[in-house]
Amino acid sequence: MLAALLLPSLLTAGAEPPAGAVKLNEPRVQYRNNEASATRSPWIDANGWHIQRSPGQTFVYQVKGEAAALAAAEAFTYGSGAFISADAAGADAFGKMLTFIKALPAVDLPPVADFGVVDDGSDATGELLNLLTRMNLLYRIEKNPDPRFHVNVRLGTKEFPPEDAKNPSVAAHKIRSLIGDDNRSLRVYGSEVVIGRLMAGSGKARVFLINYTPRPVLGLRVRIRGAYSKGELQASGLPDARLADLGQDGPATEFTLPELHIFAVIDLSHN
Amino acid sequence: MFLQLAAAPALLASDAPPAYKVVSHYPAAKSTETPGPYRGTVARIHSEGVIDTGSEQIDQPTIDKMLSAGMKALTGAKADKEAWASFFSSSDVIGIKVNCSGAPVIRASPEVVSGIVRSLVSVGVKPDNIYIYERFLDQLTSVHYERFVPAGVQIVAVETPRASLLGYDPKTYVECSFFGEDDTRSNLARLVTERFTKIINVPNAKEHQASGVTGCLKNLAYGDFSNVARSHMREKTNTLSFIGTLAAVEPLRSKCVLNIMDGIRGVWHGGPFSEDKKYRFYPKLLMFGTDPVAIDRLLLDLIEDKRKAEGAPSLWDRSPNIIDRRAHLDFHKNTFIREPGHIEYAAKNFGLGEYDKNKMKVTSLEI
Repeated sequence: MLAALLLPSLLTAGAEPPAGAVKLNEPRVQYRNNEASATRSPWIDANGWHIQRSPGQTFVYQVKGEAAALAAAEAFTYGSGAFISADAAGADAFGKMLTFIKALPAVDLPPVADFGVVDDGSDATGELLNLLTRMNLLYRIEKNPDPRFHVNVRLGTKEFPPEDAKNPSVAAHKIRSLIGDDNRSLRVYGSEVVIGRLMAGSGKARVFLINYTPRPVLGLRVRIRGAYSKGELQASGLPDARLADLGQDGPATEFTLPELHIFAVIDLSHN
Repeated sequence: MFLQLAAAPALLASDAPPAYKVVSHYPAAKSTETPGPYRGTVARIHSEGVIDTGSEQIDQPTIDKMLSAGMKALTGAKADKEAWASFFSSSDVIGIKVNCSGAPVIRASPEVVSGIVRSLVSVGVKPDNIYIYERFLDQLTSVHYERFVPAGVQIVAVETPRASLLGYDPKTYVECSFFGEDDTRSNLARLVTERFTKIINVPNAKEHQASGVTGCLKNLAYGDFSNVARSHMREKTNTLSFIGTLAAVEPLRSKCVLNIMDGIRGVWHGGPFSEDKKYRFYPKLLMFGTDPVAIDRLLLDLIEDKRKAEGAPSLWDRSPNIIDRRAHLDFHKNTFIREPGHIEYAAKNFGLGEYDKNKMKVTSLEI
């Protein structure tokens, strides 16, 4: 029961984080319009890759205001009982998000991955994991290549040579191309600032969606591989929210979130 | 569902188009499918007195005469009502696709739109069933069409607020990846798929830094679909193939039954916007047709001739030395490699109209 086991905690004012806790970035979007970039996509400071890379690690966020709610959503999505140090406004935002999270139906589903990444612990692989997370490419971190995956990534090999390690963006796009967009388990349309995570099994799926901007995203379209006929939306700050235009498209299920504030969880099933 | 992998052949091997996946549930309506009943036909109506270029004042009675002459010349009708009734009836819900990207000065003139609305009402279309629409609200509202049309006419933006997908049909889209962007879909406006029975396309006569010119095809394509600016993020753009691909998607193709190009004012450099007044000019004409390719073919000559007269490089000049991403208001330079070939591409690969001037029937009238 994820919700009961892995809830983020608020650090009371003046309290120190546990010894050894690793500080995470403030989750947010930085628009760098005056800088050259490959895509003009906004830069997302997200920590999902970091949490997945070190599942037993204790993490701490030091944030203010609404960022505390975003941090709580992020920690919960990736299964971390992270500590969140926040100001008064942040404590309030955290409290509301925690209430939302606690009200979610309990499910116990494994995370979905479309490929594996062999983690050598290097900064380059870390940056690659970061980019893959931001691109909504679902991976599993491995110690060795997993033959169940069509694509296994290890930087420094013939397939992903050392020059790829110098430019993880090239490697990330190569991975995307190898998988093929049609074969991806999760696609998000209509925003470049929403990161998702997918859990699925036994005819059910749970989709986590985090909006890293302070502005609502309107009309987000989501595509999940697999056939699901029913979808239940829980959206933070939007108690009456319902999915729209849910339907099958070939081997996938698609639906629209009319509005997404900070965090949404969608439970899909066959009935 | 009609699923088309539209990897249409390129005009040039080096311009191989990306793989487009076109998804639409809508069949073509053979009776109205673009290029419609008047393939290759354009009525070109000019009036020296239509605008006072000093005050920018447009003369409404002259516009009305131009609309009358153009519609009759296009259709062969003897009377205005007969001409308009050959396209529209009282049961129609009509979208007037204006272009406001050069607003507040360069846009589908309210006087032209007013004349179109009055003509529609004259054949029984209810004002409530007439929509003046554009993608972006801020551009649309800056024009104040409401001051020129009867009460009841709806003035609506598709994307309100910007970046919202709620106004777009999630099941009608073109999907492709141009440069590895995350969001690979461009969805068609719900107004087009769900509300309108017919569309009148009212573009301006403008140069476009990426596509060469922006006329009928581009106003339809980039004015009715989401997420289109991604086609021109880099100096080598995908406008060559993307514009025609979008304009050919049903039901847009079958619902757009009439094009009236507003060339009272024009932009010969720096388009589609109109940031610098010195790049505006005054062709003082309207062009009428059901064939968007034929009108756009004439637009190419209009803009090219003006640029030549001003000493600007040709629209077709692809030499690297004129490309400067930071100099879009220097008419010797450009921020992209222009793709004026998008018009011929749309004709050859999608049959959207007649590109060959020798096969076109152009009626030119002076008011």
